Parts: sequence; C-alpha cells; structure tokens
Amino acid sequence: MFAILATLALAAFLAPSLTRWAGRRCGWILALAPGAALAYLVSRLPAVIDGETFDATVSWVPALDVSLDLRLDGLSMVFGLLITAMGVATMIYAAAYIGDDQRLGRLNATLLAFMLAMLGVVLADDVITLFVAWELTGITSYLLIGYDNHKFQARRAALQALLVTGLGGLVLLVGLTMLSWIAGTTQMSAMSAAAGSVQGSPLYGVVLAMVLVGAFTKSAQFPFHFWLPGAMAAPTPVSAFLHSATMVKAGVYLLARMQPVLGGTEAWHTTLGVVGATTMLLGAVMAFPQRDLKKILAYTTVSALGMLTMLIGIGTSAALVAAMAYVVVHALYKGPLFHVAGIIDHETGTRELSSLGGLRRTMPITAAIAAMAALSMAAVPPLLGAYAKQLVHAAEGEATAAAGYIYWTALATGIVTTSVAVMLAVLPFWRAGRETPKQPHEAPISLWLGAGLLATLALLLGPVAGTTFRPLVDAAARVAGASPSELHEETSLGLASTSHAAEPASAGALEGAADQAHADADHGAEHGEHGSGTLLKLVTIATGVLLVWRRDALLAAVAPVGGLARFGPEAVYRLSVIGLKSFSGVLTRFIQNGYLRSYIFVVLLATIVLAGYPLFSDRAPLPPLAVLDIRLYEGLIVMAMLMATLFATGTDSRLAAVVALGLIGIGVAINFMIMGGPDLAMTQLAIETLSVLLFVFILHRLPRFEHFTSLAERRRDLVLSLMVGAFFTSLVWGIATEGGESALSPYFAEHSLSEGKGHNVVNVILVDFRGLDTMGEITVLAVAALGVFGLMRLNLDKEKKNGKVA
Amino acid sequence: MENLLVLPIVIPLVTAGFCLLASRRIRLQRSLSLFGMVALTIATLALFDAVRSEGILVIQAGAWPAPYGITLVADRLSAMMLLLSAIAGLAVTAYAGWSVGERRERFHFYPLLHVLLLGISGSFLTGDLFNLYVCFEVMLMASFVLLCLGGERAQLEGGVKYVILNLISSAIFLTATGLLYGAVGTLNMADLSVRIAQYENREVINSLAMLFLVAFGLKAALFPFAFWLPASYHTPPFAVSAIFAGLLTKVGVYALLRVFTMLFVGDPDFTHTVIGILAAASMVFGALAALSQKDIRRVFAFQIMSTVGFMALGIALGTPLAIAAVVFYLAQDVILKCNLFMLGGVADKLRGSGNLDKLGGFWKTKPFFSILFLISLLTLAGVPPLPGFWPKLALLRSTIETGEGVLVAAVVLAAFLTLFSSIRIWSGGIWRDAPPPDLEPTDLAEREKDARWMMVPAAGLSGLLLAYALAAGPVFDYAEAAADQLLNPQVYVQAVLGEGN
Amino acid sequence: MVTWLAMLIGGLYAAGFYLMLRRSLIKIILGLAIFAHGANLMILAAGNPRRVDVDVKIPIVPEGAEQLLQPYADPLPQALVLTAIVIGFGLQAFTLALAKSVYDRMGVDDVDAMRDPDLTEPPTRRDAQELVSHEELDSVAPAALPGTAVGS
Repeated sequence: MFAILATLALAAFLAPSLTRWAGRRCGWILALAPGAALAYLVSRLPAVIDGETFDATVSWVPALDVSLDLRLDGLSMVFGLLITAMGVATMIYAAAYIGDDQRLGRLNATLLAFMLAMLGVVLADDVITLFVAWELTGITSYLLIGYDNHKFQARRAALQALLVTGLGGLVLLVGLTMLSWIAGTTQMSAMSAAAGSVQGSPLYGVVLAMVLVGAFTKSAQFPFHFWLPGAMAAPTPVSAFLHSATMVKAGVYLLARMQPVLGGTEAWHTTLGVVGATTMLLGAVMAFPQRDLKKILAYTTVSALGMLTMLIGIGTSAALVAAMAYVVVHALYKGPLFHVAGIIDHETGTRELSSLGGLRRTMPITAAIAAMAALSMAAVPPLLGAYAKQLVHAAEGEATAAAGYIYWTALATGIVTTSVAVMLAVLPFWRAGRETPKQPHEAPISLWLGAGLLATLALLLGPVAGTTFRPLVDAAARVAGASPSELHEETSLGLASTSHAAEPASAGALEGAADQAHADADHGAEHGEHGSGTLLKLVTIATGVLLVWRRDALLAAVAPVGGLARFGPEAVYRLSVIGLKSFSGVLTRFIQNGYLRSYIFVVLLATIVLAGYPLFSDRAPLPPLAVLDIRLYEGLIVMAMLMATLFATGTDSRLAAVVALGLIGIGVAINFMIMGGPDLAMTQLAIETLSVLLFVFILHRLPRFEHFTSLAERRRDLVLSLMVGAFFTSLVWGIATEGGESALSPYFAEHSLSEGKGHNVVNVILVDFRGLDTMGEITVLAVAALGVFGLMRLNLDKEKKNGKVA
Repeated sequence: MENLLVLPIVIPLVTAGFCLLASRRIRLQRSLSLFGMVALTIATLALFDAVRSEGILVIQAGAWPAPYGITLVADRLSAMMLLLSAIAGLAVTAYAGWSVGERRERFHFYPLLHVLLLGISGSFLTGDLFNLYVCFEVMLMASFVLLCLGGERAQLEGGVKYVILNLISSAIFLTATGLLYGAVGTLNMADLSVRIAQYENREVINSLAMLFLVAFGLKAALFPFAFWLPASYHTPPFAVSAIFAGLLTKVGVYALLRVFTMLFVGDPDFTHTVIGILAAASMVFGALAALSQKDIRRVFAFQIMSTVGFMALGIALGTPLAIAAVVFYLAQDVILKCNLFMLGGVADKLRGSGNLDKLGGFWKTKPFFSILFLISLLTLAGVPPLPGFWPKLALLRSTIETGEGVLVAAVVLAAFLTLFSSIRIWSGGIWRDAPPPDLEPTDLAEREKDARWMMVPAAGLSGLLLAYALAAGPVFDYAEAAADQLLNPQVYVQAVLGEGN
Repeated sequence: MVTWLAMLIGGLYAAGFYLMLRRSLIKIILGLAIFAHGANLMILAAGNPRRVDVDVKIPIVPEGAEQLLQPYADPLPQALVLTAIVIGFGLQAFTLALAKSVYDRMGVDDVDAMRDPDLTEPPTRRDAQELVSHEELDSVAPAALPGTAVGS
C-alpha cells in the first residue's frame, strides 16, 4: 500500500517537469500513477469482498503514538476504487481541458498530491494519519479551486472553502483526539470494540458534535453547504474530481467509518437524519433555478451528500448498504456529468443553460454520455442508478428518528432531482439549436473517454448489479456496521432470494425489513417495477418533467423567495469574516495604539497586579523589627535623597532635574560607602559624574520640559507609580525579615587571597571568580560606543535625500 | 569534550573583533563573518552531538567550583538552541550581503551581528542567573544598535519603544535577581533550584516568580508585554528583522522555560495558571491582530506573539508532553520565523515594498520562490505534515487532558486565525497577479539579481523545514528527552554541583 | 536601616516609573536613570546588608591575613552592582544618543509624535474583495480594480 502512495507522491513531484517535457500528452502518462493504484486495488478486490483486510504500518512519531497505519477493508476499497478510477479519468481530461498553460504542470502536481491525500484519508487507520491526510486534501483543494489565481473570485471561493473546512478540520482534530483518549486507542479499527465505553462517556455528546462538525463541513452539509457551489470557480476537471466523487465524500466516509463507534444512539439518528434530509432537499431545490451547468451540478451534489448522510444516520443494515451503493452510483453519474459540462464549456464557450441547445447534432458522443449519466441519476432502469435508488427507498422506510420528515423530504427531492436530470441531459442537446460564443464541435477523445467509460460502467453494471456490485457494497457496509450474518446470507442467496417474507422471528423485525429491501432492490433492477413503488416512481418522473416544462413560469412565481438567500448561512459567513477583520482592526488599534506611555502603563500595571497579588493576598509584609535602627546621618541622607527625587520628578527646569539626578547618585554612593563598599562608591561617583555630563551635553540640544499631559493623567500615573514603589518596598521588607546568609561569600572570603591572589575581594570576584560577567560588561560598553557612533554618523534618510545612496 | 562549551562564546567574540578590525573593507568583513558563522555552526553541531550522546555537559569558568564561579552548562535544550542560533546566524549572514546595503555594513553591521550571537549563545549556555542578565544585556545592546542602525525615521520611532520597554524589563530582571540572591543567597541556577525549594516564604517566592515572568515575558513578547515587537520589527532591514524574529523572543521563551521548570515549581497552581492565562491571551490576540495588518512584517510580528503564546501554554501545562511540544516548537520556530522574514525580504526587494497591497504576481513569474513561501506559510499555519503541526498537536492533546475547555477553545481559535492570516499573505501577497512594480528597469534588474542570492539561504532553511517534516519522529524523540531533562532538574543539579547534592 | 533603605528604594522606583509615564523622551530617560539607581541600591539592600563600623569590615583581606574573617560586608552584591552600574552607563549613553537623533530628525521629543509606524492601517477595498463575495464587486470589470486581474 505504501508503494501506491509513494508512486503518487513521486508522480506529483515529477509532474511539473514531465508536463513540460510531454506537453499536452502528459495526461496520458500521468494517468499511469492512479492507474497503478487502481490496478493494485482491483487485484485485492476479491479478497476484500471475502472480508479480508490488508494492513501496513510504519512508525512515524512514536512519542505522540502516531504511526502511519494503513488498512484496506471493504469501506476503503469502495472509496479507493472511486478515487483512483476517477483519478485516471481526471488526469487525462485535465491535460486536454487546460491545454497550453504554464501552470498545467503545477495543476497536475497538485491533483496528484490531492489524490495521494485522498487515498490517505480512506486508507488511514490511525486517527492522526487520517487527520493529516484530511488537512492535505483541504490545502490541495484550496490550491485547485483557486487555480485561476488571477481572478479574485477564484481566490475568494478557495478561501471560503478553506476556512469552512479548515475550521471544521480543527474541531474534528479535537474530537478525534478526545475520542482516541476515551477509547484508549488511536486505531479506528480497534475503536468499535470500545464503542460501549465511548457512548457511555459523559463526553460522548461533545465528541459526537465535534466529529460531526468536521464531517459536515467537509461534505457540505447544511448549514456549511455554501462553500461547495462557490468552489465551482475551480476549473471543471477539478470540480469533476473533487466535488463529485472524492473530497466532498470524505465526510461521508468518516461518518461511515465512525458509525460503529459513535452511531446507533438517538443523537446520532436524529442529527444525521435531520441534517441529511434538510441538505438533500435544500440542494435539490437550489439546483433547480440555477443557470450555470456547474452550479446545477454542485447543488445536486449537495443534495446527494445530504442523502448519504441521512442514510448513514438511519444506520440500519439496509441503509448502510444503500449508502455505499449510492456513493458509487453518484460518482459514476456525477463525474461524467461534470465532464460533459466541461466539454460543453470548452467547445461552445458557455455553460449558461439558457444559451445552449441542439448540441446532439454537433456533439453526439457527449450527448449520449450525458443521457446515460442522467438516466442513472433519474434512477431509470436498467441503469445502476435505479438499483441504488431502490435500496435507498427501502432504507428510508426504516428511519426511526424523524421518520416523517425523512419521508416527505425524500419524496420532494425525488421529484426535483428528476427534473434537474432532465434539465442537464435534455435541454442542451435535444431542444432547438441556439447561438453559442464558439462554433461547437465534438470534443477530442481525451475529453470524453473517461466520462464515457464511467457512464458505460453504470449501464453495464445495472442489469447484473446483484452479483457484481452488491458483494463489494456489502463488504463496505459490513465495515460501516451492517450486520454481517444477515448480509452474508443475502449475498450468498444472490438472485435467487425471494423468500424475504418468511424471515425467522429471532432475527428481529428490523433485519427482516432490511432483507426485504435488498430483495426488493434486486427484483426491481432485474424484473422491472411492480406494486406501489412503480406507481410512485411514475408519478415522480411525471411531476419532474412537468416542472421542467413550466420552469420559467415557476421561477418567476417564486422569485421573491430568492431574496431569502441574503439571510442564509453564506451571509452569516460573510458577516463573520468581515466582522472578524473589522474587530481585529479595532482591537489592534486600541491595544497597539502607538502610545509608548500606554504600553509602559500596561506593563507596570500587569507587574503590580501579578507580583503584588501573591505578596499581599495573605498578609502584607511588615517592616523588619529594627525600625529604629537608623543613625542620624543615615536618616538625613535618606531624606535628602527622597527630596532630590521629588524635585527631579516635579521640576520644570532641565538643569535642576539633572542636578537632582546627580545628587541622587551621590546619595547612592554614600549609601554604598555605609554598606562597606568603598570601591563601589568610587565607581558610582565616577560613573555618575560622566552620566551627568552626558545628560547636560544632550539636554542643551533638546527642547525645554513641557507639560503635555493633563492633571488627571498625572494623578493616575502618580497613583500607579506609588503603588509600584510601595510594592518594591514591601518586597525588600519581606526578604530582609527572613533573608539568609549568602551561600557564596564565605568561599570568596576564604579563597580570594589564597587562590585569587588579591586582597580586595570585590575586585577578585570581578576579574576572577566572575570574570565572564566583566567580559560581558566590557562588550556592552564597546557596543554602546559603536551604537552612539552609528547614530551620530549614519542617517540614511538624509543620504537618500541627498542622493548618496541608491 | 567540555571545552566545546566555550566555543559558542569565543567564536563570535573573535569574529566580531576581526570584523571590527576590517571595518573599512566590506568584502573582507563578509567573508570573515561567513567564516565565523560556519565555524560556529560546526562547533555547535559538535556540541549538540556530544550532549546527545554523553548527556549534560558542564564546565566551570576559571575552574572555580560551582556554585561559586560561573558555570556553563549545556543540556539537550541548550545544545539545540545553540545549534539553531548558529544556523539562523549563518543564514542571515549569507542573506545580509545582498540586502542590508553597504552603508550599514560599513557601520559595523557584522561585528554587531556577532556580538548579538555572543549574547544569545551566552544566554543559552550560562548556568548562572546574574550572568544570564549580563548576556541578556550584551544581546540587548547589540539589538538596540542593529535596530537603529541606519537612522531612518521609522527605525528611530520604533527603536524608542523597543529600547525603553526592554530597559524596563532588564531593570526588573536585575531587581528580581538581586532580591532572589538576598532571599536564598546564591546565583547558580542549579543551586537556586535546591535552595528555592527549601525557602519558607512562599509569598515572596511567588512574587519574585512573577517579576521574572514579567521580565522574560517581555523579552519573549508575551501578552500584555509584547508592545515593543509590532512597534519595531518592521522598521530595520529585513536581515535584522530575520535574526531578531528567529532568536530574540526565543531567548525569552528559553529563559521562561528554564526558570519555570527549574526554579519556580513550588506553587504551580498560582504561577503556572498565570502563565496559562497570559499564554491564551497571547495566542488569540496575536493571531487576531495579524489579520488586520498590511505590512507583511507586521503580520509576522503579531504571529510571533501568537506563537510565543503557544509555547508559554506548554510551559504552563508543564506535563512531559507539553514541555516536549515547547521544545519541538522552538526547534522549528527559530528556523521558520527567520525564514519568513527572509522570504518577506525577497518579496520586498522584488516589488519595492513589503505592503500586502503592493505585493503579488509571484505565482505566475516566480514559482520556485512562491513554493518556498508556501512551505513556510503552511508550516506557520500548522498544516500537517509540515513541522508546525506536531507541536500544536501535542499541545492540543495536553490541553485536552487537562480538561480545560476554555484553553482548548483558545488553541483551536488561535490555530484557525493563524491559518487565516497565513493564507491571507499567500493569497494577497504571492498568489494574485499584480501590475509590475513601479521601479526603474535597471534598478529592477539589479534587484532581481540580489533577490536570487537572497533566496539561497531561504531555500536552505526551507529545506530544513521539510527535513523536520520527514524526521518528525526523531525530532520529537529528541524533544521528549529534552523535556525529560527539564522536568527532572536533579540530573542538571547533579551535573553542575557534583554528586554530593 | 534596611527598613528605611527599602522606603528610599520604593521612592526611587516610584519616581522612576512616574517619569517614564511622561511623554517627553528625555524625562523617560531621566526616569530610567533614577530607576537604575533604585535597582542598584536594591541589590545591596536585599543582600543582607551590614553597616560598616568597628566590627563589620569592608571586604578587603587585611595585610598579613590569609583570608577575610567574619563579620564583613558581603562582597558579592558589590561586585554585581559594579557590573550593573557599568552596563547601565553604556545603555544610558546609547539611549541619550538615540534621544538626540530622534530630536534632530523630528524636531520634538514628545513620544506621542512617534506613533506612525505602529498603527494599523484601515482596511481597503481590496481586503473586502479577497475575503468575501459582494455581488456588486463581481459586476465590476476586473481591470477597473487596482491590481487584480492582469493575467485574465
């Protein structure tokens, strides 16, 4: 399995140079990569149908319990086959469709990388591996949707898709992490064993909600569906691949994969049932009024995805079988229809439904493909679509949660879907010819081959669905949680199964119904419609056709309702994004406001709050007992220094302020002297002198002191400053009351002369014990000198103005 | 083997000296500088390797026994940071020759760069709290000068805020160090670790811990102390921004990591909760603010704040997994931030502006450059399997395990906003088409030539990011072992103070 | 004595911070200088200070003695303060030079006048375009929008 992924990775890496070398023929060559993957999957098909699984694992980040676990089972097989088969068709189609464009190489590489990621999603067994692949599909699809990077519409659509699925992805990651934490394993195949503990956990609701948000955003479920029609800004080959068969189905895949772990609860049935049914109806209804062929297809895809979600939500064996069958059927008709839309666009220069007509004469092959695909979509026998639809109908009847809602939405959706199928397959080809921007011709084989093969497959498989198609679908459904015993029985009986009515009571009513559904489906596809189902089918088709016939009148009648879209989820998205950005701007201008004193104020305030809280929360430190231990001259010095400080703070005279600063410095030196540091005092005096000189030197080139701030501001600043001062005083008190002896000084006292060869201990510490500090100190001085030199001598603004520097 | 510990200090010092002597000969300075950085990289690589195989290395400066002299220590975290700073220094030196301009090079750009690295290396190596202060000052002084070098008006305006706020932080650091010495009577960090645990007065220790948090949090650009960063990082030449972005805030994070795993671990319910709150605020505010910025470097500046928040969150959580995540974060973020600013510089060179409104048009004409940029942006956004993903995953997992729903939400929100603002740069700055820049054709040709050379180190660093992606397993193993050392300081203490303790 | 010293230090810190909250750059630097004095005193005051008199000696090994005997003033904080003073001087010199450059360049020393590079620009029309779809923007010819659709 890794070889398959590696092949795709290599192909993606080589794609740009290969494209440059092979030109327009590159599609045929690059299709070999997904072709090889397809061949591999087909070779494993019989074994997988028999219920075997293939595992491969490589350690990845063991510290995080992440390993590249791959697992090929029935569910992965169904999706894997779709990805690779559609992949082959897409590679051939894309090169022909895009033609000569310098970015074709990059497009091919991105498409192949996307295929790789998508295969990763369906093959992954480790949740993190799944997520990695999941995010990669998001990023590659972002690049693919925005292929026309010079158009802001394309970039915007890409961004929209990325943001919606990206946020969903992050939420999903949290959900999966929690899930693997609760289940005690990161392997999805091992999780179903822990389903009981997962569903009994108090966090089950949270986990379920998060996984569902991830799946719903990816699979364009209401209310996140809006990004998918927007993503039609992508070139058609991309839409055909990503937005019909693969990426949007990743969410459905995840739901199916998680069904055995998270499914079966009331919350699961209801949420998926309602969201799915709503999406299904909404997609179909929204597809109807669209004018752009691709938009129509996008909304029908939304509808189909809704149906799949709904089926998985119903969760019975029959529903899961129906879902898996419909996944395949949908890809087999939607892919070709997208290709057809692309061909029409390519050959006529427009995708507007209203300007297309009569193309069956000029494009007979395309017309035939469209007809086959649309018939499958409309579930007309003997196509595969009819077989799948029959399974779906039966499954819908089994809904336990929101059953009525599901029944009516399904009925309405059936009608609208039929009419949309007619719109797609009949109007452009069979009505009278119309003017198009380009003179239409039949497309070259590279454009229609893939679509033709897929559509033909649906036609060929239809009559023999029970024997060829069902076993695979059953294998997938088993992985998704369908009851194996009953499915096995069903499959082995195959076509001969007619004894559905006589189900033993022990199997339960539910399974009996499922069985009946399968049998019905087989019958329906084989021997034609019968009973009430047939009648309903005919009514559905008739109403659908009627809707198309009266389409213009109908649209005119409901036009006012269209205004509601302004309040839809897309509007919410729009407002959120604009709001987020405006809020960001407002907040940033407020916090990062450019006022240095505001910054200092915040820093000091935070300091006093953070550091003051622990000190004062319990009891404030009191002054050490020896309060009165002060000599007269010491007291005088302290008083003098405080007065100098006060003076320096308040004075309007620059010179006076500097003199006060000098006095403080001298006071500090005297204090050093009192505390036994004569050298320190001397240094302090010397440095203080230099420092005062420097101040005087600079000050007389600077303006006078001015009062910029108001009295209120000064009072506020004063309060804060006094608080900070009081805090530090208390901290010194707190430490001085229980300050211990220095652990280091006795050593210095002892070894200063004997080993440091100096009488003055302070000096020995500086040059010897802590020589590294002194080296740093000298470096600082040297750099300061360089800095002052640079500031005084280098003024690039001036040099630029004088033209000295380019 | 222990002598390797001296090299990361000696090599930059000697190189700076030689460059200073050659101050009038710019070409010679460039070669000397490059040579010095290569030597530093090799030396730190050897040190890295030695620490990995032999464990914590210790040397007592001047052979005075610990805790009396100054100890140089390299554990896994230090060794990694040293290597990373040498790599970033090398890349920036190679980059600077094509981007900072001869006037600045003439005014001691290279000596200052090496002194900056001297301060940074010293900070990572020293095992003494006061010496850490001195190393910070060396680094800070060099950064002041580098930031203001050139004297452009914006540089000075940004410089004022950078200088003043950092001086406040330094003074608080100095104060806290002095007070801590007064309280427990030692400066050696290993010794401090032992003595702080024995010190009775919790209130005083917690208060001091908060002072260190403010001092280091300001250097690390943690909310609400990060004002200086977006005010200044977009004003100097791109080479200066790149080395600052790669290393300076990381030194602050390193110091926080050191202090809050070794010294102030007695009352995590208070100290680490505070860090967690500030971390969450940084993550979200930084990522949100990045969204409204136009200048590409201002976007990155706010994202640095957000990234620092992520790392601080790991420190706050303090579990082995979270600390490993911080180490991994540091490992990739030094390279990433340096690279982002270097790539931004290439874009600025080619278009004559770093404003997103004026950038664009690269995807069409410069696919290689665009892809380099994309790799870095996606790493920033935390898109798997690029290296930005793994630490975020580990942090998310640690956060979930604490059960703090608010923190989980903050992580998700910040990650989402980061994705948004990274993609915004890609979409608006690289992807879209743009009219040709308003530059003279001869000037443009000159710029194209410079840009090609500037891309060489950027390509190297991008390659390194991809290598991280491929080697995520081994890197995380290393990070886990480093976290193990940090969380079991007695090994460090024994290595420094000897077996007796 | 520490009691009173601590109050003096508190006063110096308060004054330093108050001055740093002013708008005049030179006052801010003055504030930093006072703050630095406070910090230096603090190191000494916190480090178990002793007044030098008959018993307590300055930390110099007397001639003829082998080592310094208790009680003496702790030499280590003194060494630290010495280092800090010198470093502080370097920083102060640079900061003053910076203040002068700023004044030469801008003609003021009011830091409120130095906000420009630090402000977030207001959003433009292009931002909205990149982010969200406005139907009215769709209808605008791409060429009419600054720098959007050269290649189309």
